[in-house]
Amino acid sequence: MTDAHRAIDAVWKLEAAKIIGGLTRMVHDVGLAEELAQDALVAALEQWPRSGVPDNPGAWLMAIAKRRAVDHIRREKLADSKQAELARDYDEKEQPQDDDVLRLMFITCDPVLPARDRAALTLRLLGGLSAAEIARALLTTELNVTQRIAVAKRTLAARERSPSADIPAVLEVIYLIFNEGYSATSGDDLMRPGLCLEALRLGRMLATLAPTEAEVHGLVALMEIQASRQAARTGPNGEPIQLHEQDRGRWDPVLIRRGFTAMLRARDIGGTPGPYVLQAAIAICHAQARTSDDTDWARIANLYTALDRLLPTPVVRLNRAVAVGKAQGPQAGLALVDSLVGNSALRDYHLLPSVRGDLLEQVGRHDEARLEYERAASLTRNAAERAFLLRRASSIVLVTSGPTLGEAAREFLERSDLDTATLRSYGQTVRRLCRALGEQLPLASLTADQVARVFAAAWPGAAARTWNRHRSAIRSFAAWASVPDLDSGLDRRAEPPARQDALDPLRLDLVWSLDAALRERTLWRLLHESGAAVTTVLSLNVEDIDVEDRRARAGDTWVTWRSETAKLLVRLTDGRARGPVFLADRRPVPARMPAPQDICPETGRGRLSYPRAEYLFKQATRALDPAGNGYTLTQLRSSERP
Amino acid sequence: MRYLMMTMRDDSQATPDEKMFAEMGKFVAELSAAGILVASGGLDPAGVEMTYTDGEITVTDGPYAEAKETVGGFALVDVRDQDELNEVARRFFAITGNGVSRVHQVFG
Repeated sequence: MTDAHRAIDAVWKLEAAKIIGGLTRMVHDVGLAEELAQDALVAALEQWPRSGVPDNPGAWLMAIAKRRAVDHIRREKLADSKQAELARDYDEKEQPQDDDVLRLMFITCDPVLPARDRAALTLRLLGGLSAAEIARALLTTELNVTQRIAVAKRTLAARERSPSADIPAVLEVIYLIFNEGYSATSGDDLMRPGLCLEALRLGRMLATLAPTEAEVHGLVALMEIQASRQAARTGPNGEPIQLHEQDRGRWDPVLIRRGFTAMLRARDIGGTPGPYVLQAAIAICHAQARTSDDTDWARIANLYTALDRLLPTPVVRLNRAVAVGKAQGPQAGLALVDSLVGNSALRDYHLLPSVRGDLLEQVGRHDEARLEYERAASLTRNAAERAFLLRRASSIVLVTSGPTLGEAAREFLERSDLDTATLRSYGQTVRRLCRALGEQLPLASLTADQVARVFAAAWPGAAARTWNRHRSAIRSFAAWASVPDLDSGLDRRAEPPARQDALDPLRLDLVWSLDAALRERTLWRLLHESGAAVTTVLSLNVEDIDVEDRRARAGDTWVTWRSETAKLLVRLTDGRARGPVFLADRRPVPARMPAPQDICPETGRGRLSYPRAEYLFKQATRALDPAGNGYTLTQLRSSERP
Repeated sequence: MRYLMMTMRDDSQATPDEKMFAEMGKFVAELSAAGILVASGGLDPAGVEMTYTDGEITVTDGPYAEAKETVGGFALVDVRDQDELNEVARRFFAITGNGVSRVHQVFG
């Protein structure tokens, strides 16, 4: 970047929220507002290197962008005289309005968008971050961020109602951004301080816009105090240092003071404390303790009890157990933690076994403690934390005899008498068992009761078919390992016919606008237009296609389609006379050579498999799915036909 | 990233008028609300010099350097990066007029 670029970028980050907020009020479309703002940035890039940065660069950018917005509204011509009137209005109202930025926050935090997209869009439009910066912050690619933001803007533009976000929704997004930076869920670093700073800035911005909301000040206080521990939270090699072992002299007094100030504001507003105020109060208890022994654990335990009533999440319960363990002794804490084992929301949460291990170690149950640390290590995705947990585990010496669960599982999955698909399916089940119980568990001590608890925690809402698949894997493993009756706590479930939700027209439109490869677009269109089964469509051959009549013979039925598929199909099969319509990306390896009818005679590539096609569709649609899972091909084919 | 900005005393500068006070007040309020301005203050031109030699502290009046060699005020700022620092400084000088600031990054 040139100096001018960098200067403009710094101005932009400070002014983006106000400018885009003001423009959104004018044009009622955040996507368009951002484009207009970008135009103004281009103008700045042309003029500032010559004329110098203006005294009030924000106002300068806003003036240019507004002129473009008025031009745009006029150009659209919207013969509608009301629009023209609006445009005239804006000419006069040069001043940005205070509510603009708050309204923009309500738009970018709209729950219609998946949570991560809300975070990305907020960083983009309110923090002024570039796609590359957001990608670095959220550990993804720039392309991914660009696509997500584009989809998010389109979703917002297509939405007919006004934004449904409110202050709590905005707080959720800000805290999500903060936590992504503060306790990085993946990657090699425990923290990404830049992201914490962005969240703090957003929180402070919101505090000036909504000064009478106690929860806003509560969240700011919480973030300031958590951030104050940044320097003390990691050791020289990036390993985490627990709160009670941190060097409190390294806590940042500036941030602590700000946290206290924000908390005082929240208290002055009064009312029943909400979840953020309570969490901030807990953080303040820690900040006030000169040494960890001075911590007022009884007060913290009480605050957690109050928080548990408002926010009865397993994570809050777990923290409450920690506080109770400190206030009333490890045995009391352990009793609370044990009540959480088997809770499905915590099944992959590494802090549960980590906390439990710590309490077990304190009450002298060393063997169990070690297993819990190892399990915690296998669950965390953060490298520094994993190393730390493994060190704690290895500091406890364990005596075992006979094979461990991990060894038995590996041997079981290396059998040569089963086909790959079966082994892959068994692997899912057996590996889940290892993750839940710990690889070091002696096989001889494995009980049906433990297996039943793992199932209840891992697959509580699983479809009957999935449940039964896992169940038969356990039966097979038990028979092979000669540990009888491991499945005695698992009932076989009746399997109802499968049924999945179709995609609504808005989602479908977004699917069609995805930037996907020709093969994918053809397959998706064909599935949607024909409504035929996925296996049937994938089994089609080029020679079966009747271009003229837009249909193909598949066994004893016909698959038919319409114009969109027809256009794509011609291009996809161009130059091919025979062989599978949908081809895999690579040629098959000799060891897994498919049947001759599944190989393209011209390219030697195999037929596209259902799992692969399903995977690609899910990946491509993940950003569209509010649940973040992506859609299935079955959902696509069962959607209403055009 | 935190930086300590020390603005050098400059007697040739215009004495601040009401307008400058108002603008500076607004600027300070904005920067504080954003968390950018951590602390700031003006310094008494009359200072003392402390010297520590072999366990003994000596305090002397002074130093009496040239006026423009002394620090008139300071600001501790918390910014995203150096580019933001430049922008903050530019806005500061846009209010106070010509001047010199010494800036050091603060570690720890």
